[in-house]
Amino acid sequence: MIELEHVSKVYPGSNGNFKALDGITLRFPAGEFVAIVGKSGSGKSTLINLIAGIDRPSDGVIRVVGTPVGTLDESNLATWRGRHIGVVFQFFQLLPTLTIAENVMLPMDFCATLEPRAARLRAMALLEKVGIADQANKLPSSLSGGQQQRAAIARALANDPPLIVADEPTGNLDSHTAEAVLALLVGLSKAGKTVVMVTHERDLTQYADRIVTLADGKIASQTTAGQHTVSEVSHA
Amino acid sequence: MSLHKTHSIPSIRWLKLARDLMAEKGRILLMLTAITVSIIAIGAVLGSYAVLTREIAANYLGTNPASATLELEGDVDARIVKLARQHPQVREAEARDVILARAKVGEDWRSLLLFVIDDFAAMRISTFAPIQGAWPPATGEMLIERTATSMLEATVGGHVLVKTAHGTAREVTIAGLVHDPGLAPASQERTGYGYISRATLSTLGERPLLHELRITVRDPQASIQGVESVASNLARSLTDQGIAVHEIRVPPPRQHPHQRQLVTILFMMLAFSVMALVLSGILVSGSLAAMLVRQVREIGIMKTIGARTRQIFGMYALMVASIGIMAVVLAIPLGWLGTQILTKAIAGLLNFNLTDAAVPTWVFAVQAFAGGVVPLLVAAIPIARASRMSVRQALDHYGVSPDSLRWRTAKLPRPARNALRRPTRLALTVALLAAGGAMFMTALNVSAGWDRNIAKVYETRHYDVEVRFHEAQGSPVAERIRALPGVKSVEAWGYSPAAFAKPGQINVVRTYPDRGHASFSVMGPPADTRLIGFPVLAGRWLQPTDTEGVVLNHAAAAQVPQIRIGDRIDLSLDGKPASRRLVGIVEEIGSSAVAYVTDQAFARIVGTQVGAQGSARLLRIATHANSPQGRIDVIRTIEQRLSDDGVSVETAVPLAELRTAMADHIVILTRALLTMAVVMATVGTLGLASTMGVSVVERTREFAVMKTVGATPRRIIVLLIAEALFIGALSWIIALILAVPLTGLVDTLVGRLGFVAPLPFIMSPVAALGWLALLGGVSLVSTILPANRAARMSVARALVAL
Repeated sequence: MIELEHVSKVYPGSNGNFKALDGITLRFPAGEFVAIVGKSGSGKSTLINLIAGIDRPSDGVIRVVGTPVGTLDESNLATWRGRHIGVVFQFFQLLPTLTIAENVMLPMDFCATLEPRAARLRAMALLEKVGIADQANKLPSSLSGGQQQRAAIARALANDPPLIVADEPTGNLDSHTAEAVLALLVGLSKAGKTVVMVTHERDLTQYADRIVTLADGKIASQTTAGQHTVSEVSHA
Repeated sequence: MSLHKTHSIPSIRWLKLARDLMAEKGRILLMLTAITVSIIAIGAVLGSYAVLTREIAANYLGTNPASATLELEGDVDARIVKLARQHPQVREAEARDVILARAKVGEDWRSLLLFVIDDFAAMRISTFAPIQGAWPPATGEMLIERTATSMLEATVGGHVLVKTAHGTAREVTIAGLVHDPGLAPASQERTGYGYISRATLSTLGERPLLHELRITVRDPQASIQGVESVASNLARSLTDQGIAVHEIRVPPPRQHPHQRQLVTILFMMLAFSVMALVLSGILVSGSLAAMLVRQVREIGIMKTIGARTRQIFGMYALMVASIGIMAVVLAIPLGWLGTQILTKAIAGLLNFNLTDAAVPTWVFAVQAFAGGVVPLLVAAIPIARASRMSVRQALDHYGVSPDSLRWRTAKLPRPARNALRRPTRLALTVALLAAGGAMFMTALNVSAGWDRNIAKVYETRHYDVEVRFHEAQGSPVAERIRALPGVKSVEAWGYSPAAFAKPGQINVVRTYPDRGHASFSVMGPPADTRLIGFPVLAGRWLQPTDTEGVVLNHAAAAQVPQIRIGDRIDLSLDGKPASRRLVGIVEEIGSSAVAYVTDQAFARIVGTQVGAQGSARLLRIATHANSPQGRIDVIRTIEQRLSDDGVSVETAVPLAELRTAMADHIVILTRALLTMAVVMATVGTLGLASTMGVSVVERTREFAVMKTVGATPRRIIVLLIAEALFIGALSWIIALILAVPLTGLVDTLVGRLGFVAPLPFIMSPVAALGWLALLGGVSLVSTILPANRAARMSVARALVAL
């Protein structure tokens, strides 16, 4: 599903270049729930941005669902992402002038996957699935954080992508709501979606199939559920 | 908050666009207003141009105006008309005459141009149409031009006391009204227009002779030189047959007497309108860039969920196009209304009937193009820039970045540094405001220059009334007038209609048949005259010893542009030749072309002596009166005295009449300038309002940070106002500099049109300070509202605002 080979990312800065990722090689099979953890500046958000095609690697190759992401131009990348990846942000990033249902319909509109009436039906079904169908015709500003994040997850599922990428999806939620959101993501994983999630939370063993810990742009350890194996720091 | 449930579901992205438009009502309104105002202006000006150009053909050219008029010594009888019609290059010929008479209106005498028609039923040249009353007028009756009713204070069925040069005053019945589009409105020329038959002319005490042979030439596109050539050929041919031709008059072909004013006004208004559209385009571009600042992160989100660059570009291009289309929808009917108002005003200036006020389709097409395409073209750059932004750049966007500050600006005051953080936007805003301000100031400067010129009429003339006689008089007349109560001083001047003579050829003058427009005369004031004092442009004024010298006023000098001081000029005074040496050129505002010689030299040319009978055909009189009514009373006394003495007065024109005539001629131009000033001020200040709105919005997070470190809302507002004032002040300085050459250019254009000389260059303090005050006011209003909102926003809300 996702293959990263010797991926590095360097940001130029006024005090010289900053290496956010340093030769990362990873493989995530389909249906796996992967949590990427690490301290601030460890490179976890950079890694997820590269997987989602939001940013491009300075070196190395990233293949997602068989597509080398770095070879697509911005426009093709957008369409590809719209169809293959659902992105969930920490601050939800719902468009403020659209209702919850309309926010969910928007990816279907851009990717022309369903005509408006069918898109509306699907949006309602997805909102039902995440438990906020009764909020469908409200604007995001009138929903709680947890409800907005559920809406964002529904939007991420709009085009039925095989991969869900979530950047600190619980970072802005209370613990009770965060658990509910995590449960939703687990459900998606069990339904066959690959879920890659960046988080500060360390205790994710009950949710994630694999936990990848980053430190200074490198993989510090990998833990898989059941095995609890700590791997060596990997460069290749 | 629950929104309505949709039955038919529109595409979500267009729904988003519509909601965004609603959310940005204020900014959209700014853009819409700016584009609409400029498209209205373009529509009104182009529409007026199209309608009036068409109406010139329907009105003025519809009268079949004379290509040339040959002034014969004797009567133009049927044989002469037939001879003229047989000339191979002549299409039509007709006998006419124009008599300068006077009509008594209340207690005063006013000028009355009497057009004597050979046969009302068979007019072929310079025709006019009956609109009320009898046609043709019976003997003893007169038709008057419709615009003359106010000058004569009489209408159909009324009576006017008319006096001609050789007759006694006689009551004439006004039998009907006519419309004569070949004449400028009577009130502008301060004269009445009457139409009579030969028989009526006879009853007024004049010999029933018609001295004018009016012709039209076969070539409908003949130039003025071509017409002169045909007229001269005909004149030679008539002379060869013993028919004496005194003078040839050729007006500019196919051109209404006020057409130059029309074209110049419309051209100038069009230039201002196009400039307003360009400025609106800049405003749209800036405002849109501002809107996109708010939208950048949303663009990032949309791209994250699958939107392509092309789709994003399409959305925002459609937004601009919608604004353009809304502007066009509003501007087309309002432009049409503007056309109707403008054409009506200009038609009044030209004495036209608007036979068809329909605006041609191409005008609407130009408006649609201007509104639909121009904003889109100028907005394409910011839209493309925002659409192409990568997802990461868009998601990381937090408003204006401090990185754009250059080290060079570090020493500048803080408001200046803030404004310089967006150098491109600052440049656009300053350009917009400077251009708008320069035009605003130019319009008011030119208007002030015009007023200054009008003031010169009084400053350079120190008399109150000019009296012209039908026959030249001697000095006793002047002496008797000088003795009257209220009269301060009197000068007796020689006066004669004249022409620049070509040796061996019949005189050709470029005068309209009303003999007012483009006329030329020679005057003979005393060399030490105290009643005029014109500024000398070249050489010097006349001296008592100047028996051979001549001074031209600037309007006369413009007719012989190659002439230099010291050159000889051949003049013809009513057929009497005179060759004189040019000693000076003076600026004489508000006069047609005049050549000045001393009274001594004038008397010699006309074969008499100063003071002797026949030397003075004109008196210029200063009174002791210091009120308009006082002057009128003295003028009435003078008129009475001259009447008692049996002196036939051709005209008696108070100086105030000259001023009124000048103001009436060009009032539409000054109004047009002021209208354009308002348009430019609107667009310019909207630009400033837009920029300041943007500046506040994109720094909302920055203000939140400032507040967390102790800045009060008041301090933030003061900072923003200072920034707006900095931008306003910078643009004001540039506008002031730009207004200098622009004022000079428009002064030249308008001055040449109205006075045959550039207007005096004036940088009006009212214009400069008025614009500064306007900028200051708009800066305050356009900043306080958004700044207040931003400054009072909670820190938490502001930090996630963008």
